[in-house]
Amino acid sequence: MEIKLEVNRKHYILDVTEDERLLDVLRNRLGLTGTKEGCGEGECGACTVIMDGKTVNSCLVLAGQADGRRITTIEGVGSRRSPHPVQKALVEVGAVQCGFCTPGMVLSAKALLDQNPKPTDDEIAVGMSGNLCRCTGYDKILRAVRKASEEVAE
Amino acid sequence: MKKRGVGIGCTWYGTGYGNGFPDVSSAFLEIHDDGSATVLTGAIDVGQGSSTVYAQIVAEELGLKPEDITVVTGDTDVAPDSGTTAATRQTYNTGNAVLRAVRQAKGKLQAYAARTFSCTTPEGIELKDGYIGVKGDPSRRMPLGEMVSTARLQGERFISAESFTAQTTPVNMENGQGAPYWPYAFGCQAAEVEVDTETGIVRVLKIVAAHDVGKAINPTQVEGQIAGGVAQGLGYALLEQVELKEGKIQNPALSSYLIPTALDVPEIESIIIEETESSGPYGAKGLGEPAMLPVVAAVINAIDDAVGVRITSLPATPEKILAALAEKEPERR
Amino acid sequence: MTQVIGNGSIREDAWGKVFGESKYPADFNRPDQIYGVVIRSTQAHARIRSINVDKARLPGVITILTAEDMVYNRHGVLFRDQPVLAEERVRMIGDPVAAIGAESLAAAKQAAALVEIDYEPLPAIFDPEEGMKPSALPLHPELFPDTNILYHLPIRRGNMDEGWTQAEVVVEREYSTQMVDHAFLQPEAVLAYIDERGHVVVQVATQYAHYDRGEIAHALGLKNSKVQVKTTTVGGAFGGREDISLQIIAAMMAWKTMRPVKFENTRNESFYSHSKRHPMKMYYKTGAAKDGRLVALEAKIIGDAGAYTSWSPNILRKAAVHATGPYEIPHVKIDSYAVYTNNPYTGAMRGFGAAQPVVAYESQMDLLAKELGISQVEIRMRNLLKVGSTTATGQVLTESVGAEACLKAVLPYLTGKEGRV
Ligand code: FES
Ligand code: FES
Repeated sequence: MEIKLEVNRKHYILDVTEDERLLDVLRNRLGLTGTKEGCGEGECGACTVIMDGKTVNSCLVLAGQADGRRITTIEGVGSRRSPHPVQKALVEVGAVQCGFCTPGMVLSAKALLDQNPKPTDDEIAVGMSGNLCRCTGYDKILRAVRKASEEVAE
Repeated sequence: MKKRGVGIGCTWYGTGYGNGFPDVSSAFLEIHDDGSATVLTGAIDVGQGSSTVYAQIVAEELGLKPEDITVVTGDTDVAPDSGTTAATRQTYNTGNAVLRAVRQAKGKLQAYAARTFSCTTPEGIELKDGYIGVKGDPSRRMPLGEMVSTARLQGERFISAESFTAQTTPVNMENGQGAPYWPYAFGCQAAEVEVDTETGIVRVLKIVAAHDVGKAINPTQVEGQIAGGVAQGLGYALLEQVELKEGKIQNPALSSYLIPTALDVPEIESIIIEETESSGPYGAKGLGEPAMLPVVAAVINAIDDAVGVRITSLPATPEKILAALAEKEPERR
Repeated sequence: MTQVIGNGSIREDAWGKVFGESKYPADFNRPDQIYGVVIRSTQAHARIRSINVDKARLPGVITILTAEDMVYNRHGVLFRDQPVLAEERVRMIGDPVAAIGAESLAAAKQAAALVEIDYEPLPAIFDPEEGMKPSALPLHPELFPDTNILYHLPIRRGNMDEGWTQAEVVVEREYSTQMVDHAFLQPEAVLAYIDERGHVVVQVATQYAHYDRGEIAHALGLKNSKVQVKTTTVGGAFGGREDISLQIIAAMMAWKTMRPVKFENTRNESFYSHSKRHPMKMYYKTGAAKDGRLVALEAKIIGDAGAYTSWSPNILRKAAVHATGPYEIPHVKIDSYAVYTNNPYTGAMRGFGAAQPVVAYESQMDLLAKELGISQVEIRMRNLLKVGSTTATGQVLTESVGAEACLKAVLPYLTGKEGRV
């Protein structure tokens, strides 16, 4: 089946199979390995991408369902020369350990701040609760999102 | 009804392989002629940040910035064996090997610089802020890179290989006597919880965690280890269980094997205690494993403080708490 | 002196991680790679009568590995008692039995479902206390001919009669802890290939590359210098990446086919392919004098080692040594046991045997305090280890004993203003 995708502002026309997931397309066909697979069942958030402005677990989205959609993956957020405030804050606060959850965390935090630039602490915790992290205890991740929100608000 | 309680947990943890097993770490090091350096070690950074600690150690000794140091690990074709990243040993053990390696190479450089500056002793040479020179005499110093490259043109090389072996003796198998581990790490955590007597659900409101790390080489990473340990300890105390039926795992998925989310972990206040360990690098000892221990007891004790039931089997699930409450006050049922 | 030590230097690897640039093993691929799938035992304890792979030889299937393909089929951190691929027996559900390599993952999975393994079920043990009975069938007769108790450490200090005489109050309880998974966020994956030198290269997330190299070389019958383990970024470990998981199977498949081989665990497969935390049963009897001083401890700790040794002796040693908690107790009788069962094998996990007794010894402290009518803080302050203290193993602590300092540091929060923590 043929689908059209916009990923990180690039346009693709791809021939995909019926059971292929968006996650597989990103990782295996487009080589965008920053999107991770931690569970394959929508529990961990490591595969989080932004689809038409909303976060989705790309392991739960079939490639066919992404037809015609606009996708942002971690590779499309910030760069070494100009990191997104969330990325900068995660690094500066020390919220990165093994880093496997980090791309998903960045996208969830970015989507949260895009929709709600001044979230309360509770809103941050709820907004990030779909992303599991086994290393950090979330403490510094939540602090980093708070810090980034302050920067975004300025 | 929701009832609050507080509890504490004090724990200890002997670091290192222990029991007389040769606990050896190694490091190779080279100071480059622009004054940067590369250190190679087998010690793998599994996310806890050991490579950053090694960069700090080398930078500290050479008077450089951690960014000037490249740490190469985990490639068996190039790096020497530094033992496993386990037993809370990489800051202490491999940190010591790295420290010895950098001091060895630095010693050669100090000896060379002493000759250059006509200083009577290599100990009189200090490396600071990217410069090398005579202690207390700003007129006799030059950029570190310049000194190294001059020396290299004269055939001097500042490379080193070093090892460190931890102190441990086997325990006697008849009576367990011996000195199996060294050093020991200590921690104490306090927990405040709220227990819902209708549902048995425990909400952890706050954790205060004090850990004796000897010396915090990187306090940000120490806090990171503490918070991560607290979350894992909370999972252990309240949530997690591999359910087995005749040896078969019943919940091999993250939808049924539940680990803490951002909503399960409360505010964590970490307190760093530094009781110097003279055998450690700058007095440091490890923290990785100890960080998850005290919270387990703190939460169980806080539940008792809140509702007067003693949970003796982990995890303290709502079902167990309700059952214990029912047993305590049968008239309520 | 210090300029860099003691400040929160930024991790060099953090930037690569926030941009998604850091590569974990599943992120590596090589042209022409084979996709591997492991077939695991569905039986907790059984004799393998036969493995029939005829139906699995589908188009696209390149190779099927069984124990016979290995040069030396064993690995293990302490004893090499774990088969790379099952021989005549499986000892737990999840034991690797065979591995399929195919041109696509789909083909490998399809073929895996067609391998027929004929099991003859054997009596299985799931409770370590059952396994300790003399009548129980030994699971590793080659190591322990007549018992499943693979480790027992007695710790004896002082005189128990004297201890109980001195005790004003005695608290006796039974505690138990559960089996736990590391649940590191990155499931195991490995890419193995033969490089231009003819060396076996294995890219993997591990806690100890040099150990992996040794086990791979040993199993393949190669010199260490011909095997390169290149550690990728590691997505958490917590002890769960100490034992070998997929490394040897992937390396052997690459060596046999001379093609790159990739294995990638799903989360489900991950649960079956690494160790677990030891469940422990802990029987505690603790006595304290009127003034709150601990005078006697008798403890029996039984750890479920599961089907293989892994680090069990070291873990039960650690449990015994730490059984007193951070307290000085003059009269001590501690026994710890590691016992084989047909449960998933248990091994290293953050805390390593010192995690389980925490719930026992710290509960005992609170219970004793209550009996004595003193506070939880008071009883601890009276007994905490200090410089000069002697532990239950007779070790004298000569420096760096921050136990009291840690407790004192949290006190203000226990007695504080609003809220009690
Ligand atoms: S991999 Fe998609 S949510 Fe875990
Ligand atoms: S940093 Fe390891 S899972 Fe989040």
